[in-house]
Amino acid sequence: MTATVAPFPDHAPPAGLPPEGPTPKAPPPPGLAVAAPLPDVIPVRKRRGRVWTYIRRNPTIVVGGVLLLIVFLMAVLAPWLGTVDPTALAPAKRTRVPSALHWFGTDMLGRDVYSRVVYGARVSLLVGFAVAFLASIAGLAVGLVSGMVRWLDGIVMRVVDGMMSIPPILLAIALMALTRGSIQNVIIAITIAEIPRVARLVRGVVLSLREQPYVEAAVTTGTRMPAIIWRHILPNTLAPMTVQATYICASAMITEAILSFIGAGVPPATPSWGNIMAEGRALWQVKFYIILFPAIFLSMTVLAVNLVGDGLRDALDPRMAKDV
Amino acid sequence: MLGYIGRRILATIPVMAVVGLFVFSLLYFAPGDPAAIIAGDQASPEDIIRIRATLGLDRPFLVRFGEWSWQIIHGDLGTSIFTNLPVTTMIGQRIQPTLSLMLVTLVFAIVVAVPLGVVAAWKAGTLIDRLVMGIAVTGFSVPVFVVGYVLAYVFALQLGWLPVQGYTPIEQGLWPWLSNLILPAVTLGLVYIALIARVTRATMLDVLSQDYVRTARAKGLSQGPVLFVHALKNAAVPIVTVIGIGIALLIGGAVVTETVFAIPGLGRLTVDAILRRDYPVIQGVVLLFSFVYVLVNLAIDLFYTVLDPRIRY
Repeated sequence: MTATVAPFPDHAPPAGLPPEGPTPKAPPPPGLAVAAPLPDVIPVRKRRGRVWTYIRRNPTIVVGGVLLLIVFLMAVLAPWLGTVDPTALAPAKRTRVPSALHWFGTDMLGRDVYSRVVYGARVSLLVGFAVAFLASIAGLAVGLVSGMVRWLDGIVMRVVDGMMSIPPILLAIALMALTRGSIQNVIIAITIAEIPRVARLVRGVVLSLREQPYVEAAVTTGTRMPAIIWRHILPNTLAPMTVQATYICASAMITEAILSFIGAGVPPATPSWGNIMAEGRALWQVKFYIILFPAIFLSMTVLAVNLVGDGLRDALDPRMAKDV
Repeated sequence: MLGYIGRRILATIPVMAVVGLFVFSLLYFAPGDPAAIIAGDQASPEDIIRIRATLGLDRPFLVRFGEWSWQIIHGDLGTSIFTNLPVTTMIGQRIQPTLSLMLVTLVFAIVVAVPLGVVAAWKAGTLIDRLVMGIAVTGFSVPVFVVGYVLAYVFALQLGWLPVQGYTPIEQGLWPWLSNLILPAVTLGLVYIALIARVTRATMLDVLSQDYVRTARAKGLSQGPVLFVHALKNAAVPIVTVIGIGIALLIGGAVVTETVFAIPGLGRLTVDAILRRDYPVIQGVVLLFSFVYVLVNLAIDLFYTVLDPRIRY
């Protein structure tokens, strides 16, 4: 049996169709330009470009992060940054103007303002981050309980309403009046003043989440409450919580400075930016630099934290990004 | 409507009760035994117990809280430990500067912030928008006393345009009163402006994409009326809400601003009371400020129906 001979030889195109393979270019019709042929291989994107793209897309987070890193390094490396003992008194050379020896001058007691400002970064960062962390944890707990346990919700929210109707700085001041000034007490006082806001936020998120189909599905299939909270609720509160935590950090730094500035904060000997400004207060008309330098550092640090917060908000919560 | 007003007013009672409980606890847990202080160094332990009984300090927490609340409702905020004056008298002496400062700041901030926010929304995405939002972030970041000292240094000390510090009662003329308040009001207003401008921009962005704005433009209205009549009117509720919430910022900031500008107001009173551990005064000021804050926000809630007739209760 021989195979029937195909009417056409192998690979030969049927008559009438144009032959395969590169065809001789027909001249373009008049008035039409022809695009240059595409290269065979798409050129490899340079790795450097990726970092650059990230910076271009999130300029605020990068600028804020870099500033914050500088302040952080300053706080950690304070002893090696040409500082002297920030609490060393030298009455003989008090209120010196900035010079090569004392970069930011000296205060009323002859202490080196530059050293005090550099060490002051430690207090601000510690208070800012500690309050952000503690207030987030505590607020998360209160908010979760309030959002998940119906009968407690009313009571908890009335308490939160009451706490929120005391302006936070006033609340922190009142709490500080009860205790002696120390960094620990400042952190506790500011944390208590910040908890209601976090609790409110978390409760709101929880209330909207528990109506979600996937949560209802989990309830229907008999998932236990702790598992629902752990698997479905908690992960969804993380993004808004992180953003909120950065704003709490910024506001805690400002509140600490205010408390110290009015004499209700960390002990006066501790170099904190608020304390340095409090000491410079009496002399501000003649020795403005004592106030100016801590002021600049405080503002820059808070700005850095706020920039990171704005960047995180844009990155983590696209719905909010459009708004504010 | 009347029912709503009634319910809304009733709802402030638990809130004020929580505030009251907190403020009362402040004195209750304050270090130092008032009976021991009154009895003096020579007193025997029996004397102290007797004085404690006559003052009613040995009774349970809730009984004392009830009695204290009763006094507060009747306008008795107690007596200052330091000056021996009634706290209400001390507050009365200091209230005018603080009230003036807050009113001037409020007017200044709204007049500046709302147009800024509107323009930022109108020019969204442009350089102007970025500039306004940049100012807002800066306003949130620069602490109020930093602004205060820089402004005072530049405009009062260096340029000499305005008085450096202090306060002139309004009875001595409008300009002397106002000139002393301009720098403090700008100082205090900055963070408030940042807050209001941000919310105004966000709300306006939303409103400007609505159909009725397109209709207004389509019928040939010029930009001004579209922005400030059609759009702003519909954006009013969130803006007014944030103005009310922001009062808390003003109160907190006033404490600091008065310290920077040596204004003898309630903020200064608070700071002095803290340094002297004068608990009844601290209590009184915290109560008063919280009460004002709650009242303002109550008023704003009730004002919504006027702003937006669509809101019906």
